Amino acid sequence: MAQSDLRNEIDAPHVEPLLPVEKRLIGWSLGLGIGLLIVLIAINHFVPIKL
Amino acid sequence: MSDVAIKVSQPVALQARLNEDWLAVIVGLLVFALALVSISGTDLLGWAVTTSVYTQLASALSPFAKAYAWLGGGGALLATYAAMLVVLSAGVASLGGDARKFALAFTAVFAIAYASWIAGSYAYVAAVTPAEQQKFGIAWSLKLTNEGGFIVALLSGLVIANFFPRFAEWLKEAIRPELYIKIAIVILGATVAVTAAGRLNLASSLLLRGAAAIVEAYLIYWAVVYFVARKWFGFSREWSVPLASGISICGVAASIATGGAIRARPAVPILVSSLVVVFAVVEVLILPFLAQTFLWQEPLVAGAWIGLAIKTDGAAVAGGGITESLIMAKAAAAGVKYQPGWILATTATVKIFIDIFIGVWAFILGYIWTNHVNRGPDRARPAEIWQRFPKFILGFVVVFAVSLWLALGSTPQIAKALPSAAGEANVFRVIFFVLTFFSIGVLSDFRKLWQQGFGKLAAVYFVSLFGFVIWVGLLISWLFFSGFKPPLAS
Repeated sequence: MAQSDLRNEIDAPHVEPLLPVEKRLIGWSLGLGIGLLIVLIAINHFVPIKL
Repeated sequence: MSDVAIKVSQPVALQARLNEDWLAVIVGLLVFALALVSISGTDLLGWAVTTSVYTQLASALSPFAKAYAWLGGGGALLATYAAMLVVLSAGVASLGGDARKFALAFTAVFAIAYASWIAGSYAYVAAVTPAEQQKFGIAWSLKLTNEGGFIVALLSGLVIANFFPRFAEWLKEAIRPELYIKIAIVILGATVAVTAAGRLNLASSLLLRGAAAIVEAYLIYWAVVYFVARKWFGFSREWSVPLASGISICGVAASIATGGAIRARPAVPILVSSLVVVFAVVEVLILPFLAQTFLWQEPLVAGAWIGLAIKTDGAAVAGGGITESLIMAKAAAAGVKYQPGWILATTATVKIFIDIFIGVWAFILGYIWTNHVNRGPDRARPAEIWQRFPKFILGFVVVFAVSLWLALGSTPQIAKALPSAAGEANVFRVIFFVLTFFSIGVLSDFRKLWQQGFGKLAAVYFVSLFGFVIWVGLLISWLFFSGFKPPLAS
């Protein structure tokens, strides 16, 4: 693949709409991530760092 | 990774990465094992060169162990160079590289990188406290600590990449930042274990908090960067996946692993990796100093933040080293002397926790892509999790576990001798850090990257990094690490 092809591709990409599976991946990742962070923050609160 | 890596085809790149991982394990374990022999009273690595802060160049270098004082600084430097040359040349030959070309290039790389390290130890650059300035009879200094040598090495590499491109091309056989940092991380396992053994409760608390880094990198950063790349910048899926992985998880390794998993064309993740390296250079030049200015009273927050914000193993872990030196220097100037090792250990813990799941994440993406996005005969297989697992982490775990056992489960004599042995191995860890910094600089040809159409990719990186990666990383580091400080030095 020539470098000029890559450059053209980056500058004017072929539009690909978000598929439902991509939306689900983004949504589930964020939801799970925020949920797990809340759990970890709670653990952090109840099990503080021991010196 | 500019021109060098872009020319590499993906199967070759993946193969080389896996082999490089195992080579890092072998070399790291070799250094660790030889250093451990010193516990028995036979010092096999005491000739390794160390550099002190100096005003007279003649006093800068010395062998690590007094038993080898007869070698002198120059002899120790030559011995260290020769030993590394032999071991690494053999290693590169085993990877299928050109050992002769590597040996020639490595000689230049070692010479420039170590000269940079020595320059960084000059008292006017490195002295931190008024007491040190008085000791060296100087009225001012840049106060960069002797680890400012990393910055000098990085700048030296940048100058070569951007002003002497032919020389950079000639050096390329020995420009292997991934190999150097992986060896350094394996060796780092001993220092982290010795540090952890002193405060096991604190160390286990840090491990628990490493889990937050995994959640943040894979589930939050990745999703947001992918969305930004796809929706705001209109990138295709093939570009967005390696880009999101490079910015969110762990630069080069994650970009190549996930790019391979979704069956992207080889050049795509490689090109993204080049971008990650360039941004890592910028981050290493800025973030440690920001951490010193704003987070010096929260050293563990600073260590975790560096691990979360800088996106290549080499730059992140080495950046943690610089941050530790800068913060310890500022704290020392305020009369607080922390035990060394804790800030770097926090950065390394965060980074290693993130690395562990690269293979799993690549498999998840590969499964989704090959089954739901681009269905075809080449489906993702669970075996790819192991294929894409960064093997050097196994070396780190082995060194860490053995060192921890020696520190806590063996005889008091061995436990007492262990810190010195770990210190001896650490001499090589520092040298591999220096080589990493220099190599990253040499790979960062800004002009060439711009010519290759990097503007829009860089815009995604810039928006993601400064728009939320740095700030979310800071928030999470603060939530999990604020209020807890390294133990004070006795």
